[in-house]
Amino acid sequence: MKITTLVISLTLVSGYAAASDAPVQPTGVMPPSAQLCVSCHGAQGEGIEPLGPRLAGLSSEYISTQLHHFQQGIRQNATMMPMAMTLQGDGIEQVASYFSAQQVKTPVTPVIRGKQVTFADDTARLAYQGDWSRGLPACVTCHGPSALGGGLFPRLAGQQASYIKTQLLAWQDGTRKGDVDGMMANVANKLTAAEVDALATYFANLK
Amino acid sequence: MKYSAMLLLAAMGLLTVQAQASSTEQVPERPDKQAPLPSFPKMPDQAYLTLRPLSAIPDGAFGDKVRLGYQLFVNTQQLRDKYVGNELNCANCHMDAGRKANASPLWGAYFAYPAYRKKDDKVSSFEERIQGCFNYSMNGKAPASGSPELVAISAYAYWLGMGGLMDEAKISGPVPELSDAELVKGAKREDFPLPEILAKAMTVEQRANLPGRGYPEIPKPELAYSPERGKEVYVAHCQTCHGIEGQGQAIAGVYALPPLWGPKSYNWGAGMHRVNTAAFFIYENMPFGKSMQLTNQQAWDVAAYINSHERPQDPRSKGDVKQAQEKYHNDSDYYGLSVDGKVLGTESYPVFPKKS
Repeated sequence: MKITTLVISLTLVSGYAAASDAPVQPTGVMPPSAQLCVSCHGAQGEGIEPLGPRLAGLSSEYISTQLHHFQQGIRQNATMMPMAMTLQGDGIEQVASYFSAQQVKTPVTPVIRGKQVTFADDTARLAYQGDWSRGLPACVTCHGPSALGGGLFPRLAGQQASYIKTQLLAWQDGTRKGDVDGMMANVANKLTAAEVDALATYFANLK
Repeated sequence: MKYSAMLLLAAMGLLTVQAQASSTEQVPERPDKQAPLPSFPKMPDQAYLTLRPLSAIPDGAFGDKVRLGYQLFVNTQQLRDKYVGNELNCANCHMDAGRKANASPLWGAYFAYPAYRKKDDKVSSFEERIQGCFNYSMNGKAPASGSPELVAISAYAYWLGMGGLMDEAKISGPVPELSDAELVKGAKREDFPLPEILAKAMTVEQRANLPGRGYPEIPKPELAYSPERGKEVYVAHCQTCHGIEGQGQAIAGVYALPPLWGPKSYNWGAGMHRVNTAAFFIYENMPFGKSMQLTNQQAWDVAAYINSHERPQDPRSKGDVKQAQEKYHNDSDYYGLSVDGKVLGTESYPVFPKKS
């Protein structure tokens, strides 16, 4: 099944590669290079749990960086590594451009850091104030208010909980790398198993 | 060898203080209440004040001031265009909302003011020091003395420090409430209201030099600091967050990752524009979360790179860069110096621009 998809997609991609001099479409029409992504990530990048995470709401910069990381094995995933290899020429740029232009269906109202002083929920406190006794900065420092993300920092708000958890574990076991100076691995390694679960659920359910 | 020398210095506290005092005297006049704070090397295995959690802030009018102080400190942008003229928040340089030791914590500063300054023959209160932050670090216009904002930040600083000191002295109960007039003065004075046990436990001078105050001093670099080498450090370790042009990164309109130079950062009068202050800060606190340690040389070099770019004008400048340089600069900084064919300060950005 997977092999069939791969073969079809390879055909599609190579067919497209011949005409890859065409300028990258900024939005709207799905480029042929992105069609392969749809079965797991959805046509609008809405994500299909547990096959693939939501891509809508991620920046073009982030998506393209991650695809390069899959190609180079910096980020390891049995499905995504061969998928990323199918993207040649400006394929990565096209895919990143298309999915980053998709809108998130469930909007999140950003809560600015500093608005709330105390938190009844330990997980919300960890996200907004960190735990500096363990050298843990607040998640929202880099991921932004309500973890809306931007640039190289992915949006976490509304992302699938199962995916966020998998990624935190991947940072911990080293199958995901590519962060400058190991910044994210450093943070992930300080989280307990219970905190990984709780943070994943927290971000997935932000409104 | 180095450690033992440091320990010896620490033991001879008086000597250290004297050494600091003599180096401070060489600094030109600074009517900005931003004279370099004394910095001390970090001691191995140093214990720091343990602070009360924010959930311990009491209910009521006093607690409300403390809470407002926290909110202003973390989201200083709520004062944009009123008192703030750039995209920074206090918490950008004072980690953990002014709570973290060795990141110029508020509690350390609170017990270090009022501070007498020989050159001016003047004592600056805590609120005057905070006013300096608004005028320079925030490139804005300081709130008036006694304003709710300065009272709130003073209350937050006081509550943090006093709670920690009380716990250390095993004094239970809430932090005693103070009047606004007392709060804004700061705690480095003989008449500062303190529980009796605490007043006897430490001298005013000891409380003014709590371990973890300021940014720890690091040794001078082996090679003279260099923006050229610093650029390599910046690209490798800083650029991902702070941007290729030092512009920082905004998400949902908030610069969580602060701009380091250019029109949206601190101005030429801010303490952080000095290479030494920035190097001390960076060595101890960056990269954010401390996943790795920059070398001493890297910290100096990258501080030089960051601070050799144009930024908002020194508000004390009367329009003549040379004059302002002689009066306020030439002090581990790049103001008035030529970098890439341009004299820094001549194309500075506006002071306190509206966001528009």
